[in-house]
Formats: sequence, C-alpha cells, structure tokens
Amino acid sequence: MKTIKRLALSLGLGLGVPAALMIGTTGALANSDEDKFAAYRDALGDENPGEFFIDDGKKFFHEKRGPKNENLEKCDFGLGPGVLKGAYAQLPRYFADTGKVETLEGRILGCMVKLQGFKEEDVLKMHYQNAGEEDSRPSELAAITSYIAAQSNGLKFDVKLEHAAEKNAYEMGKKMFWRRQGWMDLSCADCHANTQGKLLRGVELPDMTAPKTAGKVMTAFPAYVLKDANVRTQWWRNERCVLAMRLPWLKTGSELDAALTLYMSIFASQSDEKIQVPGIKPRA
Amino acid sequence: MKTSMTTVGLTLCLALGAAHAQDKAPDWGDKISEEAFLKAAKESFYLNKPEEFERLNDPSLAICNATHNRPDDAQVKEILGREQAAIVYPKDKALFGDWQKGKKWVEDVHGGRIGYPGFLDADDPHHANGGNCYACHAIDPNFPQAGNMGPPLTNYGKFRPKTEAMIKYTYDKVYNAKASNPCSLMPRYGNPRLLTPEQVADIVAFLLDPASPVNQPPVNAAK
Repeated sequence: MKTIKRLALSLGLGLGVPAALMIGTTGALANSDEDKFAAYRDALGDENPGEFFIDDGKKFFHEKRGPKNENLEKCDFGLGPGVLKGAYAQLPRYFADTGKVETLEGRILGCMVKLQGFKEEDVLKMHYQNAGEEDSRPSELAAITSYIAAQSNGLKFDVKLEHAAEKNAYEMGKKMFWRRQGWMDLSCADCHANTQGKLLRGVELPDMTAPKTAGKVMTAFPAYVLKDANVRTQWWRNERCVLAMRLPWLKTGSELDAALTLYMSIFASQSDEKIQVPGIKPRA
Repeated sequence: MKTSMTTVGLTLCLALGAAHAQDKAPDWGDKISEEAFLKAAKESFYLNKPEEFERLNDPSLAICNATHNRPDDAQVKEILGREQAAIVYPKDKALFGDWQKGKKWVEDVHGGRIGYPGFLDADDPHHANGGNCYACHAIDPNFPQAGNMGPPLTNYGKFRPKTEAMIKYTYDKVYNAKASNPCSLMPRYGNPRLLTPEQVADIVAFLLDPASPVNQPPVNAAK
C-alpha cells in the first residue's frame, strides 16, 4: 500500500506539466476549465491512479474481515445479495430491511456493521479524517465504494422515484439543495443552479440541476482527486460544499446526505452521461 | 433627466434581479416543512457542540427561504430591524482602519469551517479569520483570482467620496449585508460569525483609501 500511495502521489504531482503541454496540442487555449482538464485526463490514458484504490476495494470486499470474520458478498445493493453489476447506477434507493433510502456508501457501511461486526464509529473515523486535503489518508469505505461503483461503468444513472420513501427523499433533497443555511447564508442552489457564467474565486461552477452537468459530475465520482492524491466519493463531494457553507459536519449515509444525492441523481439520470469511475478531478 | 432616471431604475432592477435569478425552480422543497427538515438535520449532522446546530436555524434566512427571497413589507421591516440591531462598531468608534491589514482579511479564506474531531481542514479558532471576498468579488486588480457572483469592487474608492456617510455605509454592508438588503446573497460577516469590528474597519479602509491598491492602477498593467 505504501508503494501505491507513493506512486499515486508522484502522478498527482505531475499535474503542473501537462497544463503547459495542452496549449501545444490543441493549438489554442481551451475555452473552459473542463476542456483544459479533459486534455490532461486524455493524456493520462489508462494511468489513472484511482485504479489502485479499486484494487484495494475489491480485496476489502471479498476478503473475510472484521470481528465476525466475514466478507461483504451477502450485502444486497438493491439487485440481490452480492449482485454488483449495475447496482450503483440505481442508487440511492429505498431498502426494506432498513426502512431507509440509502446511498452506496451508507449501504456498505451498514453491511460492514451488520455482516462483519465492525463498529460504525471506527469505519467513519477513518473515512472522515480521510476527507482532509492536508492529511489525506486511505479509507476502506472509500475504496470499497469505488470498487462497487466501477461495476456500473458504461451505464447511465437510472435512479427512480417509486417507493413513497424515495419520493419523500427527493423532496427532502430539494429542500436541502435550495434552503439557505450556514454561516455563509448560502444554499447549494446559489452556486450550483442557473450557473451560466458564474465564477467562484476564478473557478467555474457545475449546474447540478441541469442534466448534462449533473450527469458529468456524478458519473465521475468516486473520483481520484489529484490535489489530495486520494479517491473521493459523492458524500465527500457533498461534505466539501457543506464545509464551505460553514454548516456542521454531514454524516456519511445520513438522511440528508442520501436525500441530496438522490435529488442530484435524478438530474444525472436524465442525461446521456455514462458512469466511468474512478473519474479524475483536479481539486476539491 | 428622464433617461438618467430610467437608467437608475434599470440598474436597480438588475441589481435586485440578480438576487432572485434562481427563482426559475418551481419550488425549494416547500412540501417538506421546516419542522420535518430540522428533524432530519438533527440526525444528519455530527455536532461537536450543540450550538453548531444554530447555523441551520436562522430567523432572517427562514423568511428568505419561505418567500424565495421575496419578503413582504412586514417581513422586510422585521429582518432589517433585527440585522441593523446586530451591527457592532469598534470600541474606539473608528470605522476606517488600516488598508494593509484589510488587504489580508479580504484574501484570507480561513474561518468557521466545522470538522469532525481529527479532521485537519477544519478552521482553527485561534487563527484570525478572513472573508474570502475574492470568492465573489474582483477587488485588488493585482489579485489573480476573482469570482463574479457579487459586483466588482475594483476602484471602489476612486468613484466614491471618503465621507463619514460612505464609510458607515461600507462598514455596515461588510458587517451585515442583510441590514440594508433583507435577503442579500452576501453573507453576514460580523460577529459572532467571521470578522471582528476592527477587521471590518480595516476592510473599509482597503476599499476606500486612495492609497489602497483597489484604487490604484494595476502594478503589472500591460504596456
């Protein structure tokens, strides 16, 4: 693992060079942040450091681990126990056994507790401390999430609102997205709806209520984030905005985390973008 | 005269319109009651201290949320009254501080970020906070990054007289933008949030002092 991390780090640090290279290959300055970074992503080709985390996740999923010495193969992600192919494309969804709408991360966490006997706080402690830029650590939960999400690669998001709990979560997610809150007095929507031409400290903002941009963002997570040399999940993406809004800490897989993810997944499901994880992202 | 009145009117409409641009959405999750949302929020956020929850439950924002940023006359009065009363001035009553310090407060992004124990990107309360003003405004023309969600403030003092009224207006706006525009997109920076009264006075100087780089030509302007 140490070697992997070092290799990932060295690849991550290489970001500065291709920035100059891209101007040469396209002949002119690309017209948006996304275009510029796409050229770098292409240049990386198959050398995506996020793949190492998927390998780790595969191991963590299939190996017998935890106080109960079990693997996660009996965990049901909505398509039956152990069925991983296409499961992420339909999440979040309602699960009858827990009576909750759950994200992929929330569902894995529940299975690690129920099937393997891990303590929820132990799994989350590393997952949360992992979320920092300055002290980025490997998180088992993020690795397993990346592994399972990758089993939906090539598929479009197909999140549905069938169960009453899913419909309620959609409305709750909408409220979470549009409600102004936190010390910045901002809603998610203030920066991520009707964003055409908006810049935040020089950075373009994706519109998470427009199918195309929501699809682009959500099909890339879990993503390898170069600045952190780590894979980052959709919960992490939600929490980084929550942090900047100066709200309290959003719990992974909590009702509002699931509701917000579901709300944005509905827009992503209306796009033609296909899941391709781990995506590669420059920064938080 | 007629033209200039129209221009003023149009400018006002545009300025107000900007705050409401998000209103294309049919609703803001209005089917979910505040009570139901706050109940879900109680379960969904990890709290280091109970008072962190207050950040989710602000009486002025409650009106802005309920009305989609269009409070009625009584609500406007309520918000303006509450927010004006919340403004605190420096002990020495000096609203015009040191622009060089203000330059730093405007750039700094540190302050108010809440973390889980052991999460190192959370903000250290012993460190002076900044306003991260460049997130939304162009200010010092020499600063490489700027957002455009707020109006550009470059040359702010060049076209505004450094009068007592202008100093107070600028101070109040930075300290509590909702004391003059009830559902302003701009955060309320003053205590108990991010900036002390003295820091706000420094930012006022950064914006209005003729010697500040805000009101000077850019250093590396193309020749």
